[in-house]
Amino acid sequence: MEAEQLSHLLSRCALRDHQAFRTLYQHSSAKLFAVAVRITRRRDWAEEVLQESFINIWNHASGYNAAKSAPMTWMTAIVRNRALDLLRRPREVEIDEGHEDLMASIPDESPGPEELLKRSMEAGALAECWKQLTGEQQNSIALAFFHGLSHGELARQMQKPLGTVKTWIRRGLERLKNCLDARGI
Amino acid sequence: MKFANEELRNKLAAEYVLGTMSARARRRFEINLKENPALRRAMAEWENRLTPLALAVPEVEPPSRVWHAIESRIRRSRKSGPSFWESLSFWRFSSIASGLVALALLILVAVPGPVTPPADGTRMVVVMNDLNTRNPAMTVSWEPGKPGKRVMRIRVIAHADMAPGTAWELWMLPGEDQKPVSLGLITTHDAQTVVVPEPLAAKLDQAQGLAMSVEPAGGSPTGLPTGPVLYAGQCVKT
Repeated sequence: MEAEQLSHLLSRCALRDHQAFRTLYQHSSAKLFAVAVRITRRRDWAEEVLQESFINIWNHASGYNAAKSAPMTWMTAIVRNRALDLLRRPREVEIDEGHEDLMASIPDESPGPEELLKRSMEAGALAECWKQLTGEQQNSIALAFFHGLSHGELARQMQKPLGTVKTWIRRGLERLKNCLDARGI
Repeated sequence: MKFANEELRNKLAAEYVLGTMSARARRRFEINLKENPALRRAMAEWENRLTPLALAVPEVEPPSRVWHAIESRIRRSRKSGPSFWESLSFWRFSSIASGLVALALLILVAVPGPVTPPADGTRMVVVMNDLNTRNPAMTVSWEPGKPGKRVMRIRVIAHADMAPGTAWELWMLPGEDQKPVSLGLITTHDAQTVVVPEPLAAKLDQAQGLAMSVEPAGGSPTGLPTGPVLYAGQCVKT
């Protein structure tokens, strides 16, 4: 569904149009659920995130400003924030111990971060700018972004010192920003 | 935590959007977001840069129970939710009014803008709160009693956005058993004036409160509020 149509649906939600909300859900929930699944790595958590996110979207649709961000960007940010909050919430010890296994169990058959990035950047400035990063900067940013890994988890996953991983991310993001800024993005 | 440094703001906003921040750091960041427009801008920029990447994932159909849960929660709030008048329960909190009036006068006088201090000391003031957060969102004031039109000075304090295709409509609330009367459309601008012509102007002085609802572009098609009420407040004579 086009951004303009999604924007219109969000406006209708601001006016408490239940049918518009249902249509919005039908056209965006599969994508948003996928985002939640990738970060939380558990279906039950992802379902909770999706539910809370859509209640949030319904309640705050009147605050959505199309001039500031695209509709899917706005909704995705809501889902990502909920998912990250859930992931980072302090939990009982036994779940923490299982977390290491969960990280290792990121399925191989679904497209990995690099493949995903390639797909999302078929055209445009982002693809050009992304190329300017080193392989390590690309990997660390992709892992952090798609899988919601903290610096510590990244360091363990990539088997590198914490400081090294932080530097890759910091420099990678800087390059990305400078490059996009220069292109007026 | 001070965020005067643009570089620091930029770095933290990037980490927040990327997702590497700890829970505690996220909480601190979110609190600072409320107070700091430059930080909000930095975050919005990073969201626009990075978030579209997230949509590269292949779709995963959620189970239907999720929609059923969402739908029943929304339906519940519609059925048992407050009526227009019930949601304006500020009637019951008149003791808070004087504190809020002091706040309103502070805002009206301290912030530069098209506001002149009252000539004879009598003004009607309305502090309109955001009904969700209970925080002051808008203040409205005018000089009552004179013949002719009223000029309402409005200040929008809340950092508010308007969804496309919608409008903000201001309503006069004559009293609990009477229907709201439209005062026209307003914008999200910090400082604005609304001129209320006769004969509505005289009725305005007697109003119990003001409310703002979100309507379709161009205003309510029915002449009564059709959308959600975001802000409302009691009229107080100072």
